[in-house]
Amino acid sequence: MTTILQQVINGISIGSVYALIAVGYSLVYSILKFSNFAHGGVLMLGSYFGFFALTLLKVPFWAALPLAIVGAGLLGIVNERLAYRPIRIRNAPLLYLMISSLGASIFLENFTIVTIGPNFRTYPEVFPIQPFMIGELSIGRLDIIILVIAAISMGLLTWIIYGTRVGNAVRATSYNMRIASLMGINPDLIVALVFFLAGASAGLGGVLFGIKYTVWPQMGILTLKAFIAAVVGGLGSLPGAVVGAMVLGVTETFAAAFVSSAFRDLFSYALMIIIILVRPGGLLGTVTGEKA
Amino acid sequence: MSQYYIGILILICINLLAVLGLSLMTGFTGLFNFGQAGFLAVGAYTATILTTQYSVPFVAALVAAMVISVLTSFLVGYPTLRLKGDYFAIATLGFAEVVRLLVENLEKITGGSRGIPRIPTYTSLPFALGASAIALWLVANYVRSRHGRSCVAVREDELAAESIGVDSFRYKQIVFAINAALAGLSGGLLAHYVGFIQPSMFSIVKSTELIVMVIFGGMHSLTGAVFSAIVLTSLPELLRTAQAWRLVAYGALVVIIMVARPEGLMGSWELTPANVKALFARLRPQRDSELSSAEDVELRSAREGK
Amino acid sequence: MPLLEIRNLTKDFGGVRAVDHFSHTLERGGLYAIIGPNGAGKTTIFNLITGIYKPTEGDIAFDGEDITGQVTHQIAQKGIARTFQNIRLFSEFSVLDNVRTACHRYARYSVWEGLFPTPRRGREERELAERSSHLLELVGLSDRADEVSKNLPYGHQRRLEIARALAQEPALLLLDEPAAGMNPDETVDLMAFIEEIHDTFDLTILLIEHHMEVVMALADDIVVIDFGRTIAQGTPDEIQSNPTVIEAYLGTEETEEGQYATA
Repeated sequence: MTTILQQVINGISIGSVYALIAVGYSLVYSILKFSNFAHGGVLMLGSYFGFFALTLLKVPFWAALPLAIVGAGLLGIVNERLAYRPIRIRNAPLLYLMISSLGASIFLENFTIVTIGPNFRTYPEVFPIQPFMIGELSIGRLDIIILVIAAISMGLLTWIIYGTRVGNAVRATSYNMRIASLMGINPDLIVALVFFLAGASAGLGGVLFGIKYTVWPQMGILTLKAFIAAVVGGLGSLPGAVVGAMVLGVTETFAAAFVSSAFRDLFSYALMIIIILVRPGGLLGTVTGEKA
Repeated sequence: MSQYYIGILILICINLLAVLGLSLMTGFTGLFNFGQAGFLAVGAYTATILTTQYSVPFVAALVAAMVISVLTSFLVGYPTLRLKGDYFAIATLGFAEVVRLLVENLEKITGGSRGIPRIPTYTSLPFALGASAIALWLVANYVRSRHGRSCVAVREDELAAESIGVDSFRYKQIVFAINAALAGLSGGLLAHYVGFIQPSMFSIVKSTELIVMVIFGGMHSLTGAVFSAIVLTSLPELLRTAQAWRLVAYGALVVIIMVARPEGLMGSWELTPANVKALFARLRPQRDSELSSAEDVELRSAREGK
Repeated sequence: MPLLEIRNLTKDFGGVRAVDHFSHTLERGGLYAIIGPNGAGKTTIFNLITGIYKPTEGDIAFDGEDITGQVTHQIAQKGIARTFQNIRLFSEFSVLDNVRTACHRYARYSVWEGLFPTPRRGREERELAERSSHLLELVGLSDRADEVSKNLPYGHQRRLEIARALAQEPALLLLDEPAAGMNPDETVDLMAFIEEIHDTFDLTILLIEHHMEVVMALADDIVVIDFGRTIAQGTPDEIQSNPTVIEAYLGTEETEEGQYATA
């Protein structure tokens, strides 16, 4: 019983990291209707920002974290300006945005390999690692902290998107960009804000993942998990991204613990395939068709 | 010709096979495949296991590699081909990752991350050239046929294509299968040229290189695919010093192409006699056209007089 | 036997009922129209007939066969062709290729023959090219056969889309707002064009239109829908003087004497 509970907590912890990444991914998808592959690059660099803030600049964690988050957010904006905006304003097919994002992701990953180096890096010990003990249950301190930070950030993001005027503007733009702009909303500002938020949450996810596991140039592949989470929950839906991420995290962790850890990712893909076949709109999503 | 240049030529042919399949599937039919390396791996490992462990003759092993690869495409395609572009693209990414996972963990069959060494180097230049020439001929035939046109229609507007009677799902399956066959063949030839295979050879880096080749030359042009395969295979080989920066350059190149000239180098231009004639006609110096303007007037009035 | 029989067709999108127990019968050779305010459900009916949506209730029979719930390409091959409100040409294709791609009755060669050319393929391709050119001549587009279709003027693109539909040699042709975006001259041309193809090709035509002069001049029978429901059906004269129709389109005006419909 205790193992099951422990695995649930593990699952929710990694799920919350996935949720941060998935929400950023879904934000961009809901506004611009394309899959931003460079999301992984931003996540990875956010993780490195945090790492270097701690090791080179030697600032405490509570300063390094916002540095990484803001840095990643700004990187998201720069990415959009350089790789997407020129294509977007020409009204080119969405496919071109997706291909460009692939190029950006390849660029970021390999630039990091060449400049910073291909090695895996370990975050310095930011939090004491002794687990909490509740009776026989050993709960990872790190897991709880990650969960708390992620939850607070998600709460903040939710408040921004659903509780502020700017958030309303974002949601309006996600329904129909042209009409939103006719109503006085500046789409460029909204897009910049969305990419900042997406980048920031990706960066945070990267830092948390780095703390728990490790930092390495190819860690952008985590966005694949974010995509699976978004699909499972319902592509384009923010609550869906969170639900999907949690389901994914728990499923993965259980599969790794009770079946085989080497094939953990196989279960993640299997989950995605099952959802696609059985409920293509995702757990929370609705199926929308093309207007003929 | 020295061994070095023969080697580059063979590599060009091997890459061309994979690029032709991608061009057909991604360029002409609009199905974005980010997991081509997965099919290369399926072909490479199938052919290798057959030749090294079961002494199967080379050609038979290659055929088997292609068949297994095609069957894989049906398996992967069934749940994913009905999905929208993004979904399918990422599903192919996932597929390649799954293949890599399986290869790395089924050590007894595949040798795990160390791979399979000492593969007999059956791939000769005539063989590679022959295979890629035949593949080019087949794909060119297909593209010019009514099936090729239907595939392009699916790319241009799937709903409209369906409305004129094109079974888009079936055509997607077909090009996915053709791509798988070509990629499987490419993988099998690669294994028996390099002499060993490891999962690291079939990573997302490989898939990326192949996609870049399709985009660079022009997604809607087979001539562009051939051109890219030649240039982007030989250039890195000849510029071995800057290897580390190669992928950085690729990434930047993709973004630049998409921003500046998304149709790629050739757009949809093909190297046909008619097109070449038209190209030379446009490039002829101004003087000729001035001189012939008098002729034009005569011709025009003669035509109108009829 | 009627060519198309629609019975109690209903389509719900979540909580919204877009089509509400719509029934209609099309006899062979007729020229029918569906009219109604924007959002009344007209295009949805087309999408239901062509299999783009599956009905929530009701059924559709084409030439005696139940086609309810079949897939779009199957229905297209059975003999129903359509055009779209927002023109959906294969924009990178030439004019000729747009038409050629729809001529599936005349080329049957297999995918294998697509890879390995055979004499049969050569023959069928020549026939395809001939028939497509012939069709382009009939619709007056043959001088532009090799032009990329996205470069054509709007009116010609419309014509091409219709030509492409004709290439399927359908028994039933569905035209979705063919006169959309046209000026009065183009509209007159289009009307003549529709009449001509109706006679030349032995077609049954069902069209959706907002341009009243087109509908009133061409249609034998008009169905008026509002909120997914039929509110009137009859000849052009009957429809024009039907008060329910006038109200649906133009609304009513309140005065001290009470409401009356503005005409």
